[in-house]
Amino acid sequence: MELLVTMIANLLATDGALLGAGIAALTGIGAGVGMGIATGKAVEATARQPEAVGQIRTMLLLGLAFAETTAIYGLLVSLLLIFVA
Amino acid sequence: MFDGLSEEIFPKKVIDLGWLSINESVISGFIVVAAILLVALILRLTIIRNWKTTPTGGQMFLEWLVCFFDKSADEMTEKYSGLMGPYTFGAAAYICCGVLIELFGLRPAIADLGACLALALCTFLFIHVLGFMKNKARRLLHYANPINIITDLAVPVSMTFRLFGSILSGMVIMEMVYIVIIALFDMLPVLGVTVILAAVLTPLFTLFHAFIQSYVFASLTLTFVQEAIETPPKKPKRAKKKKGVQIEAQAA
Repeated sequence: MELLVTMIANLLATDGALLGAGIAALTGIGAGVGMGIATGKAVEATARQPEAVGQIRTMLLLGLAFAETTAIYGLLVSLLLIFVA
Repeated sequence: MFDGLSEEIFPKKVIDLGWLSINESVISGFIVVAAILLVALILRLTIIRNWKTTPTGGQMFLEWLVCFFDKSADEMTEKYSGLMGPYTFGAAAYICCGVLIELFGLRPAIADLGACLALALCTFLFIHVLGFMKNKARRLLHYANPINIITDLAVPVSMTFRLFGSILSGMVIMEMVYIVIIALFDMLPVLGVTVILAAVLTPLFTLFHAFIQSYVFASLTLTFVQEAIETPPKKPKRAKKKKGVQIEAQAA
């Protein structure tokens, strides 16, 4: 038991940062789902009202920028974990 | 294979005098500013001096570019569009050209936390100064709620990291692509591999980021300013009652 704990501790001490980087990159899942839903809704809206395509595009891009932010935070955290920690 | 990547991620210091340290991004920022000023001067002396009633191609492009920012500023920040239009245009031009300089092999000017923070703080300043100018003392009510203060403080942080992160990720992807291309060239020494692959992939990743991020920065700035200069409703309850009375009067 003690051996296992020391093994896990050693593993976390050496490769913990890389493991954390991998977990941080999972933020992409949420961002991907969110952006997919937003784009799908925008397509629906355009199909329903093609003349409003300009306004829809503006709102879609803003929403995508917000949704993308979480993915970018994850990327930054994983980059910092790989190259700085 | 990707060992060299860690050196590319954070900007290298070119000049370090202790109190003054200048990295690669700052230098390409200077180049971008000089290039933008030079282009503006040339356009001022050539196209704008020969302004015609029947527009030429260059004039049409300039009009479209200026109108694009002025119109969206007009829609969102009514009274202050004279200030916000040029600001968003300038910021967008700096971001766009600061990223596009990557095509010349220099480090993008925006891939530095300082540059992003400076742009975000400019926006932060505009939001609060214009909010006070429009609503005067009533704006103080906005700060009475602690949640509003936290939201306000999060704005520059999120704008900084959004810009920095997306430009940096584009740059990192391109560095990885270059490393892979060099490795491919070692295996398959045909000149087409290095030249054509790089020529196809670079604009794909760089141009997309440049235009999207500058557009997003400009429209986010306008949205936040619009939110700040909204006039808060004075006494909503009484207004509702009045409406009801009016409707009753009309019905009678």
